[in-house]
Amino acid sequence: MSENNKNTTSEKDKNKDAEKSSVRPEPVISIAASDRENTEIDIPVKAKKLRRERRKKTMNTIALSNIILIGALLAGGFAYMTLLPHETKADDENRMLTKFPKLSAKSYASGQYTEGIADYFDDTVHNRANIKEFIADNLMPLKGRKYGGSDDGAELYGSSAKKKKSISAVTTTKPFIPEITTETTAVQAATEPATEEPAPAEGELTNNILIVNKRGITLYGGGWGTELEYASYLNAYKEKLGNVNVYSMVLPTSSSFYLPDNYKDLAHSEKEDFDNIDGALQNVMSVDAYSALNAHKDEAIYSRTDHHWQPLGAYYAAEKFALTAGVPFADLSEYETVTLPGYVGTLYMYTQSATLLNNPEDFVYYKPKVPVTVTQYDTHFQNPVVANLLLDPSVMPNSGYYMVFGSDERIVHVNTECKNGRTLVIFKDSYGNALLPMLTSSFENIYLCDIRYFELNAIDFINQVGATDLLFSMCSFSAVGVNRNSIYNNLIR
Amino acid sequence: MVFSRLFFIYIFLPLCLLCYALARGTKAKNTVLIIFSLVFYAWGEPVYIFLMLITAVVNYSAGLLIGKYQGKKGDTAATAAVVVYDLLMLGVFKYSGFIVENINALFSSSIPVPDIKLPIGISFYTFQTISYIIDCHWEKVKPQKSFKNFLLFLTLFPQLVAGPIVRYSTIEKEIEERTITLSDVSYGLNRVALGLGKKVLLANQLSIIADSFLGNIGSSTMLGAWYGVIAYGLQIYFDFSGYSDIAIGLGRVFGFHFDENFKHPFICRDITEFWQRWHISLSTFFRDYVLYIPIFGKRRKYGGLFLVWLCTGIWHGASWNFIIWGLYYGIFVFIEMKIGKKNMKKIPIVIRHIYSKFVIFVGFGIFYFEKLGKLGTFFKTAFGFGKNGFIAVQDKISLMNNMYLMILAVICCFPILSSIKNISDKHYVTKVTVSSAAAIAAALLLIVTSVMLVDATTNPFLYFRF
Repeated sequence: MSENNKNTTSEKDKNKDAEKSSVRPEPVISIAASDRENTEIDIPVKAKKLRRERRKKTMNTIALSNIILIGALLAGGFAYMTLLPHETKADDENRMLTKFPKLSAKSYASGQYTEGIADYFDDTVHNRANIKEFIADNLMPLKGRKYGGSDDGAELYGSSAKKKKSISAVTTTKPFIPEITTETTAVQAATEPATEEPAPAEGELTNNILIVNKRGITLYGGGWGTELEYASYLNAYKEKLGNVNVYSMVLPTSSSFYLPDNYKDLAHSEKEDFDNIDGALQNVMSVDAYSALNAHKDEAIYSRTDHHWQPLGAYYAAEKFALTAGVPFADLSEYETVTLPGYVGTLYMYTQSATLLNNPEDFVYYKPKVPVTVTQYDTHFQNPVVANLLLDPSVMPNSGYYMVFGSDERIVHVNTECKNGRTLVIFKDSYGNALLPMLTSSFENIYLCDIRYFELNAIDFINQVGATDLLFSMCSFSAVGVNRNSIYNNLIR
Repeated sequence: MVFSRLFFIYIFLPLCLLCYALARGTKAKNTVLIIFSLVFYAWGEPVYIFLMLITAVVNYSAGLLIGKYQGKKGDTAATAAVVVYDLLMLGVFKYSGFIVENINALFSSSIPVPDIKLPIGISFYTFQTISYIIDCHWEKVKPQKSFKNFLLFLTLFPQLVAGPIVRYSTIEKEIEERTITLSDVSYGLNRVALGLGKKVLLANQLSIIADSFLGNIGSSTMLGAWYGVIAYGLQIYFDFSGYSDIAIGLGRVFGFHFDENFKHPFICRDITEFWQRWHISLSTFFRDYVLYIPIFGKRRKYGGLFLVWLCTGIWHGASWNFIIWGLYYGIFVFIEMKIGKKNMKKIPIVIRHIYSKFVIFVGFGIFYFEKLGKLGTFFKTAFGFGKNGFIAVQDKISLMNNMYLMILAVICCFPILSSIKNISDKHYVTKVTVSSAAAIAAALLLIVTSVMLVDATTNPFLYFRF
């Protein structure tokens, strides 16, 4: 087809040439021939004319070459877009690419069909991932320099314009797991409706990311009062549950530990909000994960390229929780360590920063050596299936973090060999997933539920499974953002 | 469909150029252009295309009537009727929501606000038809007898959705007869590449800065507000002038010579000059068809002036900030008129540059904020009454991260390419060198732009999922 196209381009050029030649004066060669018979006086005039003609011809040759050059690019691009196979999946963005639209009267009338065709071609360009890496690596760095040093300097990425809406999107965007979710499309992801109320008007949670010292840091924007709402919801749970131990373990993000001093102004203090929460909790036990993590901040407890922590961070937090709850806790030596090198996580997906792309990290997780029985249920606690505690790395989604558990839209029950009669329910966000393997020697039964996708009355559920302990464990962004509303909604459902 | 997407550049355009090259004779070429223009428009507006076609029939017929009754009552009646029709269509489809909202606010009524989607390009093609009809009435042009030719004038896709507002008189002759030279085609293709580069490499990247600093004006510092608004002004310029470049370039490839729409507006020395360089097809439209409407009697000089600026404002969008924006410029043009050209020239050039750039970029602030509350915050922040101080670390990081982009954008505001061309044209050797270099530069620009467009569909779930 490209061959075809090129032929027709040159045909076009010939055509233009023909049009042109009708107004063009005599060809140069015939003038040159007639030159021989000229008188001496005529020669300079003729020579001038000859030179003018020659120059004109040269200019036309340049113009023609120009047309052929751009024409060849257009023809080549046409062939590239139409003949080469279309991509179907974007690993770095965790989504399926746009599919060819289905024709219906409605989709046509709304323009979605035609625009959908154009979207399909634009979105599924052959070798898309490599081209994007080329952009991240070679083109984007041309925009400027890193702030404060070329190697470890800072880059700031933000989506502040959409800040408020964005928080609601957090609650509804679903993680992409290859074998389970295949219908996720770009359009769906982009237009996922915001179901929750808007984020707090005063203090806005920033979705800005700072990249400094080869680490992406999510900048915490502060609760500005909403942290107290979080505390009051937990108090309400405790009031209804009576004898069940209720714990609050709000998890700091990398914003607390890795922001260099001169960038401290970019983020609000998470510790300050945690202290506010502690002050407002009534009969709910607070677990100080902040100190536990702070003590180990020189270890790889947070991912550099992902907005989550690393399982090692979860280990230290879980240790603190076990201590607070008075349950046994298995040392790290009782786990099998698995290292996945070359990991580039979600923060690259958000920023497309070459710094992250070119500085992958090890994703390290820990497999309990003790046998456990894992059952997965849907979000209504129905349809149980036997499952593995950890995903097989070969089916690992791009956000390797999810391999700890796989998906948030399930309830997981883990039955362990720790026969202490304690049953723990964890209400969590994605940060909480990493806690699960770390508590398999501490409780007899663990139920892991995501607050955002839970569809039952929480109190009924807790009573139904006979929980002795209830742990709320989510990161600061969730506790003060709209995700906190899910805690309340699950209470009154 | 928009120009700055791979589907247009590498599928629609090659097919269109191919068919155009294969078509023999102007008539066949016109047919090809009409078909591709209709497909182009229907791609985004499969329903409203009928609105445009009806408008075409109405204006075409009115043109014939005007021609038939030239100088008689029927001429004036037909002109008035069809101008009212055109304005009514624009009013209904563009402004009815805004009008009803304001009536409701003013009289505390609760008339349901009509939810009408704005048909693509209606602001542009309506002005084209109005200029055609009035020119017919003034006998500046002869009414087009062939509907096909009229349809081509109206729907010609390079200028259909985002201007420039090409007048019938500009392309009257070329619709029926045009020669296409090699230099036209090569110039046109290069111009298209330049326009795409401006839009994709500059405007799209500048918009990220503008959105972070203006979109979040409540957290911006004074420096951040100015940085954001300068990035935004540059973004709008490269976006809009890039589109005009593509339109003019494509027009040239097809053998049409459209007028320039932007002439390096930021090198202006006063506001009056700015509008002689910015969106020229719009300001000349208002100058020719609105400024001298004799409705203001003796005061028509100034009455007309403010009417023009009111219209300019509201043409840009159905929102109060655009009206304020238009009148804001009206005030400065008025002041400059009062000072007088001679006196203006006496003011040192540096001061005139500072004054005009200041007015223009504050103007972009008004243009950006459709919500008047946010506009107020912008003004407070920009003039030192904000709550976030003068400078913060995020300003420093962003300025550093976008340093070369900003420098390049500022450089591109100067007429460098046209200066190079003017100088090189004087000598044969430089002319050959520059023309050859231009071809290579255009090709490289097209490649880089296309590569960047692969990223345009990236959907990085801008938000963290916890």
